[in-house]
Amino acid sequence: MLFSRGFSRISRTGSSRGRCLFSILREQHQLAPSNHFHSPRDSSEMALGCRENYSWGSCAFNGFGRQIHYQSSSIVEEQLDPFSLVENELSMLANRLRSMVVAEVPKLASAAEYLFKMGVEGKRFRPTVLLLLATALNVRIPGPASDGVIDSLPMELRKRQQRIAEITEMIHVASLLHDDVLDDADTRRGIGSLNFVMGNKIAVLAGDFLLSRACGALASLKNTEVVSLLATAVEHLVTGETMQMTTASEQRCSMEYYMQKTYYKTASLISNSCKAVAVLAGQTTEVSMLAYEYGKNLGLAYQLIDDVLDFTGTSTTLGKGSLSDIRHGIITAPLLYAMEEFPQLHAVCDRGLKNSADVDLALGYLGKSHGIQRSRELAAKHANLASAAIDSLPENDDEDVQRSRRALVDLTQIVITRSK
Amino acid sequence: ALGCRENYSWGSCAFNGFGRQIHRQSSSIVEEQLDPFSLVENELSMLANRLRSMVVVEVPKLASAAEYLFKLAEGKRFRPTVLLLMATALNVHIPGPVSDGVIDSLPMELRKRQQRIAEITEMIHVASRLHGDVLDDADTRRGIGSLNFVMGNKIAVLAGDFLLSRACGALASLKNTEVVALLATAVEHLVTGETMQMTTASEQRCSMEYYMQKTYYKTASLISNSCKAVALLAGQTTEVSMLAYEYGKNLGLAYQLIDDILDFTGTSTSLGKGSLSDIRHGIITAPLLYAMEEFPQLHAVFDRGLENPADVDLALGYLGKSRGIQRARELAAKHANLASSAIDSLPENDDEDVQRSRRALVDLTQIVITRSK
Repeated sequence: MLFSRGFSRISRTGSSRGRCLFSILREQHQLAPSNHFHSPRDSSEMALGCRENYSWGSCAFNGFGRQIHYQSSSIVEEQLDPFSLVENELSMLANRLRSMVVAEVPKLASAAEYLFKMGVEGKRFRPTVLLLLATALNVRIPGPASDGVIDSLPMELRKRQQRIAEITEMIHVASLLHDDVLDDADTRRGIGSLNFVMGNKIAVLAGDFLLSRACGALASLKNTEVVSLLATAVEHLVTGETMQMTTASEQRCSMEYYMQKTYYKTASLISNSCKAVAVLAGQTTEVSMLAYEYGKNLGLAYQLIDDVLDFTGTSTTLGKGSLSDIRHGIITAPLLYAMEEFPQLHAVCDRGLKNSADVDLALGYLGKSHGIQRSRELAAKHANLASAAIDSLPENDDEDVQRSRRALVDLTQIVITRSK
Repeated sequence: ALGCRENYSWGSCAFNGFGRQIHRQSSSIVEEQLDPFSLVENELSMLANRLRSMVVVEVPKLASAAEYLFKLAEGKRFRPTVLLLMATALNVHIPGPVSDGVIDSLPMELRKRQQRIAEITEMIHVASRLHGDVLDDADTRRGIGSLNFVMGNKIAVLAGDFLLSRACGALASLKNTEVVALLATAVEHLVTGETMQMTTASEQRCSMEYYMQKTYYKTASLISNSCKAVALLAGQTTEVSMLAYEYGKNLGLAYQLIDDILDFTGTSTSLGKGSLSDIRHGIITAPLLYAMEEFPQLHAVFDRGLENPADVDLALGYLGKSRGIQRARELAAKHANLASSAIDSLPENDDEDVQRSRRALVDLTQIVITRSK
């Protein structure tokens, strides 16, 4: 099997939706935020990416060296680490998540706990985006922010938005649990996957459990539009997964199909959650759509870079990545582009890429093509669209609002410039 | 003839061959027994069609998987029948807010929404069976290859997810967060019940209380919460909604208890003629739990796990000597009566359809406990 313990870049059937942004770090190797990017430890550990992990992007930002402290606002503002802005809130969120998934049945409780264990120390990418967005959209409007309930207290609104972040995490983790069962995955983020450790049965159940808790939490928000948004995201996750599992030949070679599948699997959850945050804040339809567009484009950009990194790893050269997608016959953006330049690739892909000679052949074509380049360009395009969405938000002088918006823009760049 | 373990259309196999199809004569003459299922027959087949079309997806493979499941439910669909009858039974024609801000003054609109509850309930039920099959590694269900055996566990997980996700979407479309909460709770209970069954420690396996709790979660919670949802959509009071809930809950419990018995007796009244699938899977149900109260020796037999056919025979022997079957029947009857009285406690209503549906619901409680398969 290709998964070396923890560090191989695994993105196979079922979860090519994303890897963590940066390298996996096991708990004991966790870098303190101030560490420089290149640690003296084994660089190969850091070089390899990880499969989508429970806290999307958490490992990514450990080692992210740009921790320049915010100086007084009268001096030129230097680059902020977006994650530090919401750090405290995130750890409270993590605790609340734990209490939300307490189950009556011990086995189920420990299964649910298992999932959140990994994410606690790392940065949680989705919740970070959502919390930053909540601040970025802060307009302090009293008045109906949900069906008939007047959220005039910013605190109350914030709590509800935090709940969206929690719900999003639960849905995300539930989908990962099932994906692992579907993929027969034996590791997730460097440790045994739940299905591997406790069996498929409990993994399926735990996923269902999380999903039902998420639905219950959604209902408690008493906002039917928000319920719809997240229900749609759930449907999309399943649709994306089934698209991936059952792709017929002509679809596998279609960029359009691939982007649709990627939207379903990776971008829909974050985009609909972003929109939900805006809806809860009582924002206009227009602003809610901007929030949606931000999430969507950020998600797509993320996945495209993920695809590239699966080939390149931390180097810029081909074949240094974990190559897990291609080895599982998953044809991602770079190859799809390459196929446009080299139609011969079509036949190679049709054979299913099960043969390592075919894999090498495909890589050869890829190397000769502009596939990687064009994927990066597409990612950059989506990153810019995300950025533009933030820039289009209604003007707001509030310092916190501006800082969060800057952070959201920074994230779009982080997503596309990361090298693992 | 053999009883079946929880099947896709709860009670469907029970009601094939149900012979009491007496036609209703004019209302001035004494009303004879109506077949509850005939009251909602047409509506049910429309529901079945809608369910089919609801599962149309972009991915053909999964759609055929979902189809597979609904095809299995050839017989009468028990849950939707209960829910549709309940919808009529609670019909009060009240205009006014019945969901978050949406005024359902049109009975037609309300009916459609209640039908949607029935569809959602079926989807959740089938999804939970799919994931349950995966868990049980069952290789047959209802006598033909179960989905997971035929198409692989993965498709079963995915198909279950697919149904659950569509159920979420359909729930959201009702724009009633209380209803969402109820059905979310039901899903959670299904999972909890399944987990309880998987992970039962020794002392819990021998506890009647634990068993009833598990049974509530696995069998009764879905129907009880759906009944309550139907009532809520109709804009009923909390009190009436709770009566609907109690009906569903007690009906579900009664059903399961008889199911337990039939697993031992089959269509005969003698022991050992049923499929004995529970006991062979080491699942200790009500009759055995009662028997254990009379014969504590059974405890040790259970602790050994009932994997040994000799132990199974031993347990059956004790069961035969005990009043286990009898007491389980009595408990079922008790719950059936509780269900019945919940209907009788509903606010008076002269409407003919309402009365007929209520009678049908009461009849169902009797059907559930007198059935022999």
